[in-house]
Amino acid sequence: MTTPVTTSSRLPPEAMLPRPFRVIARKEETADTVTLDLEAEDGESLRFMPGQFTMLYVFGIGEVPISISGDPGSPETLVHTVRAVGAVTQAIATLDEGDPVGIRGPYGSGWPMDATEGKDVVVAAGGIGLAPVRPVLLALLADRGRYGAVSLIYGSRTPSDLLFLEELHAWRSRFDVEIEVTVDRADPGWHGDVGVVTSLLPRVAFEPENTVSVVCGPEIMMKVVAAELASRGVGSGSIYVSLERNMKCAIGFCGHCQFGPEFICRDGPVFPYERVADRMRVHAL
Amino acid sequence: MSLQSLRESSELLAKLTNTELELFESLSWEVEVRDDEILFEEGEQADTFYVVIEGKVALEITSPGKRPMIIQTLGPGDLVGLSWLFPPHRWNWRARVIGDTRLVVFDAGEVRRQCQENRDLALEVYQAVADEVASRLHSTRIRLLDLYSLP
Repeated sequence: MTTPVTTSSRLPPEAMLPRPFRVIARKEETADTVTLDLEAEDGESLRFMPGQFTMLYVFGIGEVPISISGDPGSPETLVHTVRAVGAVTQAIATLDEGDPVGIRGPYGSGWPMDATEGKDVVVAAGGIGLAPVRPVLLALLADRGRYGAVSLIYGSRTPSDLLFLEELHAWRSRFDVEIEVTVDRADPGWHGDVGVVTSLLPRVAFEPENTVSVVCGPEIMMKVVAAELASRGVGSGSIYVSLERNMKCAIGFCGHCQFGPEFICRDGPVFPYERVADRMRVHAL
Repeated sequence: MSLQSLRESSELLAKLTNTELELFESLSWEVEVRDDEILFEEGEQADTFYVVIEGKVALEITSPGKRPMIIQTLGPGDLVGLSWLFPPHRWNWRARVIGDTRLVVFDAGEVRRQCQENRDLALEVYQAVADEVASRLHSTRIRLLDLYSLP
């Protein structure tokens, strides 16, 4: 039996109180994924670190943790990219301009932006995992001179499942970032790559001993990418992953997202891979 | 382009000794293939294999009345073709070039013959191709999980 980690009782009471936001724009990314721009009713920006999440509440339906996919340099608009997979996310996917939602947060640890300064940065994303790393890419590109080589390797199920297509094209046209995309299945109309996401790693430039990698996607994908990065000489302390569990309170009280001795909501969701690698091999955890 | 200069990008060529590389050089030539041209068709005799210098090759499966499906794409440094080493030496897939592509073509029949005469060479070649097969099997297993469809 595991023992819940004790949490400070000095959290402000409003930590569980959603702030009213309103949808100001929606964009259908794919058949089951939508990006919503949200604005606080009180006009106050929601500042966040890349990698953090909020608890997004659809009134009368429920609340779910969703990573922030927007630009940390433009906190006046809160952006969430949501894939409809359950009752709440289905409801989120049907929201339209003007609809109200509740927001708690931002919560959790962010991607290690300070640790990336002066380093080569390999961003690896799979499926909906591109959404939580989009703020990293936007931050890196907004201050491009502070980093070494920057690259994104991105794997998706099919070409029609690719997120942020216009942005991917725009980034590809830049000379200071490498963007490599692959899909698992395609017909001959697709001129890109078909194969597993790790097959893209040899294509992008990085010096392993001077590289920080940010990896987000299904857990098996993250393990495979981390193993491939390690085999190419990137230290497991320089590889960061974002984990997901059944988060409910988001402030380390309820224990739903306990992962060994830590709570994903409070101690994560971003972890150095070396800290969680052993636990990611435990079947029953 | 010499095979020596391709060594950095090709895991297959990187595994060969200098002597073996010289032999492979003598059994190879460079070609430029236009976008959408077919390198080989399913069922044809596998008497060549390729290493991509620049561009992309799609391995495809076709069936009557249906659109072909791309199984995998191969890029710079990648080996195109495995069936040349294993009887009955016939291609299992179609290979189609995506975009104008430069490749090194190897005389597979002659490589096989040299391997029969030289067991050390055979060991190196089979080991290098086996590594490639293992790597592709690993990748295929991951893709079979259809990871991105999971919530």
